This record gives sequence, C-alpha cells and structure tokens, in this order.
Amino acid sequence: MRSFRIVIAGHGTLPAAVLATAELICGRIPDLTAVGLEPTETPDHYADSLRAAIGRDHRPVLVFADLLGGTPFNVASAIARRSPRVVCVAGVNLAMVVEAALSDAALDDDLIERLVEVGRSGIVETERHRARRVS
Amino acid sequence: MSLRLVRIDDRLIHGQVVAGWLRALGARRIVIVDEATARDEFMREVLTLAAPQGVPVEVCGVADGAVRLIELAATPEPVMVLARMPRTVLALRHAGVPIDVVDLGGMGAGPGRRRLHKTISVSSDELRELRELEQMGTRVEIQIVADDRPIAFRSIDTGN
Repeated sequence: MRSFRIVIAGHGTLPAAVLATAELICGRIPDLTAVGLEPTETPDHYADSLRAAIGRDHRPVLVFADLLGGTPFNVASAIARRSPRVVCVAGVNLAMVVEAALSDAALDDDLIERLVEVGRSGIVETERHRARRVS
Repeated sequence: MSLRLVRIDDRLIHGQVVAGWLRALGARRIVIVDEATARDEFMREVLTLAAPQGVPVEVCGVADGAVRLIELAATPEPVMVLARMPRTVLALRHAGVPIDVVDLGGMGAGPGRRRLHKTISVSSDELRELRELEQMGTRVEIQIVADDRPIAFRSIDTGN
C-alpha cells in the first residue's frame, strides 16, 4: 500500500494518456489522478482543479508535471511551495510513474531522488545503450 | 511608443504568449494589468514563473499600471502588455496610456457570451467596451497566435 497520492499534471490529454498507459502496465493504480490543462483554460481555474486532485487531507502528494516551465508545472510548484506535504517533479515519463505507482516507500528525499534517476536513466539513444550493454 | 502589443487574454501568460509572441515582438518585459491578479500572491508567482528567464514580469492594478505604462511607453524598451478583459484596457486608455492596437488573444466561452471568432467570445458589456475603444482611436484586432493574420474587429462586429 502506497503512503502517498500521485497526481499527473500536464497539457491537454497527456496526463490522462500517461495514467491509462501506466495502468496498462501495472493494472489498476489506486490514488492516481490526471489533471489536464485545456487549451483555453485559465491558470486560476487549473489551480482549482489541481488543488481538488491534491486533496485537503494530510496525505503526502507527489505531483508529476509534464514540462518544466509550463503552466501545469508552474501552478503545481506554487502549490508545493506553500504546502510541505506536496512535492512536484517535472519531466514526467512512464518509467517514473510506474516506479512511483509501485512504490511502498515514504515520499521523502530518497524516493524523489530515485524517481528522478529512474526517469533520467530511461532516456537513452539506442546505439549508445547497446554499446554500454555489450561492453 | 514601445508598447509592442497590448493583448487581452484571460489566461495571461501561457505557451502561445511565451513561445510565439515574445519572440515575434522582441519584447523583453511583460506588464500584466489586472486588479484580481495584483492582489493574488499565488497567481503572481505562477505568472512570474511562466515567463522565460530574463523577461521580468510586473503585475499591476489599473491605477499603478497606467502610470507605469505611460512611463514605459516613453522608453525604447519593447514591452508586452497583458490584460484579462476589455474593461481594463479601456480604463488604461481613459487614463491616458497610448494604445494604438489592442489584440484579442483569448476570451473564453460561457453563458451569456457570444463567439466572435474561434477562441474569442465576448459578453454584451465587453462588446460595448471594444466598440468604445475603437471610437477612441484604438484599433481592435483578433490575432490568437503571432503567425495568424490579424482580423479587424470592425469587420466581424455585426453591430447588435
């Protein structure tokens, strides 16, 4: 049982698609929600949706944002700065979401570092990856 | 006259503005004029984060915004001005801010709002305010992204 809630914040249909695809890999994932920013949506409206997904209880929340500097990230990081139980990581990819979804650790610095590492190490160019694997 | 673009967009700073307009205009400063945002510390932070590095964002109410824009308009520095609604631009105009053109860039749909063009919808009050701007000599245009050809408000305003 995971101790924290996960929210995927991003542009358009990306968050819903990442959620659906992560569930394709892991099966149903509890306490995972997707909040997509519609093209015409105002940032304050999006902030309301994101706050609702984060919830008003005291449970820790990990927000994965799709793009550093984008509106979903900017809103999430402004929320995180005001709420110590909320952590925001930008640059979401499927590897990070799956790793976080299956984690039973506490949402602390160690876990955040591991998730960022999992996300980064999954970004490779195939020839270099092959060379590393066979050498 | 260095207010490169005065844009009405209820999303204020977002991808289209940052990616397209700032580059197209060569603007290195953004001034947001909006009473509600000026009072909202959370939204001020979100909008400041939304601008690229090296592009300062100033958030003003109407009164201090007018003073600031009159001052900036007299300098050679290219400035982009953002407001959420026509009423704000009209108030700036009445306060003596020189505005040749106002661009309608994003005005959401909703109850009591009529669609003018794509993502541009207006209430009857806003329609009246836009007409007043035109009467004061400020050209009203619709140009959602910098690559779009501007459409004159006058050419699509049916007058009712």
